[in-house]
Amino acid sequence: MIPHINVHAILQQSVHGFYADLVTRPTGRAVRENIERDLPAGTIAVMDFTGVGCLDYSCADEIVAKLVRDKVRVLLLRGLTEAHREAIEPVLAGAGLAVLCERDDGALEGLGASEPAPALLDELVERRLAARNPGGTIRLTAA
Amino acid sequence: MTRLVEVPTSFDDRSFDQFAGAYAQAADGERLLFDAHAAEWASPYGLVGLLAAGEAAGRKGERPLLTAPANPEVVSYWARAGFFREAGDLFEVHGKVPKLKPAVESEVLLPVTPVRAAEDVHAVVSTIQQRASAILSSELGLDPKATMGFAMALSESCQNIVEHAGTGGWVAVQAYNWRRKLARRVVVIAVADAGIGFRHSLEPTQAKRFGERWGDAAALEAALIQGVSRFRDPGRGQGLAGIRRYLARWEGKVAIRSGTARIAIVPGWDDDVPLKDGLPAFPGSQVLLIIPEQASEKGPSKK
Repeated sequence: MIPHINVHAILQQSVHGFYADLVTRPTGRAVRENIERDLPAGTIAVMDFTGVGCLDYSCADEIVAKLVRDKVRVLLLRGLTEAHREAIEPVLAGAGLAVLCERDDGALEGLGASEPAPALLDELVERRLAARNPGGTIRLTAA
Repeated sequence: MTRLVEVPTSFDDRSFDQFAGAYAQAADGERLLFDAHAAEWASPYGLVGLLAAGEAAGRKGERPLLTAPANPEVVSYWARAGFFREAGDLFEVHGKVPKLKPAVESEVLLPVTPVRAAEDVHAVVSTIQQRASAILSSELGLDPKATMGFAMALSESCQNIVEHAGTGGWVAVQAYNWRRKLARRVVVIAVADAGIGFRHSLEPTQAKRFGERWGDAAALEAALIQGVSRFRDPGRGQGLAGIRRYLARWEGKVAIRSGTARIAIVPGWDDDVPLKDGLPAFPGSQVLLIIPEQASEKGPSKK
């Protein structure tokens, strides 16, 4: 079973007041530390951004890049808006890191640096967590 | 002894150096009188810059004096822009100041707002998303998706204060017709603090690399062009780089003044210079972001 991280819910637990935006380093740090608490190192995890408003570069780095760099083996993002992608992509690319993200049609694709992304897809397929479809796209089999 | 610091009649980023020059002549311990009685107009940059000057002057000596604009329309506008709500804590204000609440009107997207901690940045981002979305898309012709990028740029600008200034600061966002250069509507984000400035913030990690070139201009260049940060954490320095990307996409402008230097990423519609050094010293950092109405085939809207 792939651990499922509901980012919006964790944001509500991590900061005082009702905020839908993932902005500022301290907020990002608090959210990441809450995520890390229940996440075994080297795991494959799904992170759902549904309900998250603005995501700034600082939070993209503090949460997504640091989890990829230090904690998880494969991070799969879903529920991303175009604006979320615009914040995450350059932060990951600049650090030579990549995640997978699930498009609205269910297909998986790499986000961030182009080099590590194919290996992430291959790993999901090898572990039978994802499968290649006749059309060439890769989708999760479970999660 | 009280020293007079004249507030320019038209107070914006262009006339700021004249203001900073008068401010820089003050000696420690002198009481300052900021004279805005003749002011006819102030941009958000001027308003937050004046607050930064007031805070810095109060730290160096007696609480400074401020003469409010004599023109009732001007003083009313400053009040609606939220200036006097903050100025009351910093200055001994003289003149007739209307007791108005900061406005919720089309021009003032975000009244002058203090930024001291991460919670303030959250509040600013939340407010601007509610207020700015319609203006950015309907008046500036930006893609509605650009609103989120605008909030990101605002967030990163404000975080500069929280993380680097060592003190609080202020932010203001306004939309107005910019006749000076464009004859188009623009949205302006202005952020100012009277903190330690870029040079002191970056000095421990960057001064050695620059050697004799090290100074305010080199520090600004390192931060804005090279994306360096005072933190050794590999992911730092993303904020200003992100702001640059956002502004490049929408033909926007960013200018940062700190200490005795000012750096700008200048779009085609402007004739500002990329880097100025040897300016009158002014404490902290002052950031200006301008996003213009997008030119369409029909030309600019007539709002």
